[in-house]
Amino acid sequence: MVQLSRRQLLFAAGAAAVVSVAGCSDDGDKKDLADNRAGAMDKYGVGDQFKATTALSFSMLYNNHPNYPLKDDWLFWSELKKRTGVTIEPVAVPLSDYEQKRSVLIGAGDAPFIIPKTYHPQEDAYVSSGAILPVSDYLDLMPNFKDKIEKWNLQPEIDSLRQEDGKFYLLPGLHEKPWQDYTLAVRMDILEQLKIPVPQTWDDVYNMLKAMKAAYPNVYPFSDRFGKPNPAGNLLNMLALAYGLQGAGWNFQHTSWDASAKKFVYTGASEQYKAMLDYLHKLVAEGLLDPETFTQTDDQARQKLASGKSFVISTNAQTLVNDYRPDMAKTLPNARMAKIPFPIGPAGPVNPASRLENGIMISTKARDSKNFVAMMQFIDWLWYSDAGQEFAKWGVEGTTYTKDSAGKRTLAADVDVLGLNPKGTKHLQKDFGFYNGIFAYGGRLELVQSFFSAEEMEFQKVLNARPTVAVPPPHPLSDAEREQVTLWETPLKDYVYQNTLKFILGQRALGEWDAYVTELKGKNMASYLDLINKAYDRYQKKHG
Amino acid sequence: MVTIGASTSAPARKQQPGHRPTRGYRVFRVVNAVILTGVVLVTLYPFVTIVARSLSDNAYIVSGKVNLIPRGFNLAAYKAVMADPMFWTSYRNTVVYTAAATAVSLVLTTCYAYVLSKPQLKGRTALVGIAVFTMFFSGGLIPNYILVTSLGLKNTLWAIALPNAISVFNLLVMKAFFESLPVELEEAAAVDGLNTYGILLRIVLPLSKAVLATMFLFYAVSFWNSWFAAFLYMDRMDLFPVTVYLRNLIAGATDATSVGGGLGSASDVVQSAATIQSVTIVLTVLPILAVYPFIQRYFVSGVMLGAVKG
Repeated sequence: MVQLSRRQLLFAAGAAAVVSVAGCSDDGDKKDLADNRAGAMDKYGVGDQFKATTALSFSMLYNNHPNYPLKDDWLFWSELKKRTGVTIEPVAVPLSDYEQKRSVLIGAGDAPFIIPKTYHPQEDAYVSSGAILPVSDYLDLMPNFKDKIEKWNLQPEIDSLRQEDGKFYLLPGLHEKPWQDYTLAVRMDILEQLKIPVPQTWDDVYNMLKAMKAAYPNVYPFSDRFGKPNPAGNLLNMLALAYGLQGAGWNFQHTSWDASAKKFVYTGASEQYKAMLDYLHKLVAEGLLDPETFTQTDDQARQKLASGKSFVISTNAQTLVNDYRPDMAKTLPNARMAKIPFPIGPAGPVNPASRLENGIMISTKARDSKNFVAMMQFIDWLWYSDAGQEFAKWGVEGTTYTKDSAGKRTLAADVDVLGLNPKGTKHLQKDFGFYNGIFAYGGRLELVQSFFSAEEMEFQKVLNARPTVAVPPPHPLSDAEREQVTLWETPLKDYVYQNTLKFILGQRALGEWDAYVTELKGKNMASYLDLINKAYDRYQKKHG
Repeated sequence: MVTIGASTSAPARKQQPGHRPTRGYRVFRVVNAVILTGVVLVTLYPFVTIVARSLSDNAYIVSGKVNLIPRGFNLAAYKAVMADPMFWTSYRNTVVYTAAATAVSLVLTTCYAYVLSKPQLKGRTALVGIAVFTMFFSGGLIPNYILVTSLGLKNTLWAIALPNAISVFNLLVMKAFFESLPVELEEAAAVDGLNTYGILLRIVLPLSKAVLATMFLFYAVSFWNSWFAAFLYMDRMDLFPVTVYLRNLIAGATDATSVGGGLGSASDVVQSAATIQSVTIVLTVLPILAVYPFIQRYFVSGVMLGAVKG
């Protein structure tokens, strides 16, 4: 007889437990959906209208928007029930604190089945808890979703969502074409007065600002807004994208993909980042860019623009129409403000926007529901089919909009949205519940652009002619690695932000760049990169 | 010591009969008045600004021209906010929650504090310890949520009233106050045949109006202003208090534009006019502001009385 020591016994017991746990989690429950088909359609494919065979209801987290607060009597709900036989039970959460409530509900195991409005990589935090379903295992239930990925070549984008296990946990919104909204807005009347063409590149922007400064020596021609959550958030991001980096400013990405070297580099220490800081420093040093750009609030920037103390500012389609033009209407009646095409940088003409959009997480509990298959088909229809997307955005033909023979949609005479039909007495969002940020996003180019003004269409035409920016390859981290990375990220990011401002404002000379990079290394930049690149290699070997 | 001038003020005379205030003291009082006036102005300024904004035209606010005096005076925003049924629903909720939660808190805190004020109580130290323990340690967000949910309190008034019913700070202040009441009074009442409850209700409480008023104020203000419990435990809009309504209005307006990338935010962009925000703030603050002057006279004595005995 072999005498086992207590330690050996413990070890054996532990090993057995690990094996049995692993055995359970090994997608054993994935295959058999026979018990989960109640209410589902037997045959459901692309182009089919989903209709549950019995009346169903699903709980959903609802991000309640102050502009169009949730109403039970919306046409959206009744029409949805009529078409699909599904009732949604919303758990209303104020938009102001949506993320906090979401994490409490998931953490407490009390989450609704459908959890929309999740922006990648927010889902990462929930993966290890097992509370969120790996939706990639169930794509066969979602023909429209699969169809769009294939038709629009979205596979690389989708791969970027994958976790270390090779699965993804978020159903993202899908765009046929990227939609770059943010760019610079410029006083066109000043351009005409000074006989400057509309700038195409960042060098043109520099020359334009210089000419403006020469004509108006007392102003800072460029004074920027969007300073939250960090200074010059949008300006830095636009420049980073134009210089071929992954993102900076309010979209700060620690790593950028170097396609030629096939490895990730640290954004804040790259040569491109240095070049763009050099560019901004030049603007500040020559008095072209208002140094207060980095400290002022959005309102202050708007006031400068409205009072003629600056001519150029960051914009998106909404702020141009809702902020700048009304601001200036009273103070500077002759001013004309317009978007310029996203300026081109050293990376050449690209459309930098992502084709993925915020998306939906599914609670793992839903997998055990007998209506699971029906729910996935329902989600597929509402969020990913052409008919569902048109319904969520435009509403019901004949009631909220009409369609002519060419397929062009027009709002019904009494319905208004985005000020397109100011005479309308009812509001598409407030009174009918359509064009709701939770249900209506993404889709075919024609649908996405269907509410755009002629002017915005012009802008998008220019950008859509540019190639889509390449997506960095997946490099998912394990839980332990993610925890480690989080510890490194905050000090690194703070240090990059700090020094970005110092370099731009001239408090630190760009000659000290090498010293700065060494300081970053002192904050674990090298280990950080090492870990990311290893994760990339590992994923390549396993799934690539 | 030099005493110049004959002018002495009333309170100084009361405190030191026979002495005239020293020069140093008078200098101190001038400095004091100046500093306190400054503090008052600093505190008042944001409020006046908000009121001015609520009465102004939105265009003037956006261009930064509204400061202390309304410009483009109009009441349109007041009409707009008051026309929103959701605002009134939320407002009613706030009133109901505050009234109920304050009542529950007052009763529970009084009972606990009165018991703790009796030195002959066995296990008194342990009971105080239990209360004080919760001042420094809490179960954490998610355990609390699970507790409240599994007790079936979610989406009810009790989710707001019960978890925060006893504020330990208030409890200790009240305990100290009760301890400062003369024991002889209660002994006399006992001799005359009152039982414990009779003593509490007929002797102690009528003598404790100052501390009760103070506690009422503390609790009412904190429940009126609180939003987190309601946000956490309420799943329906028609259950939200006005603070959550207001928070959504303001945070929504600042958030939507700052979401990086801006994709898909077109249908999300909030254009909640600055005036609307100010009006909602004014209407939310007003009632609690109106309560203050009536309770304030109890305020100082209520808190201070307990403090002497600690």
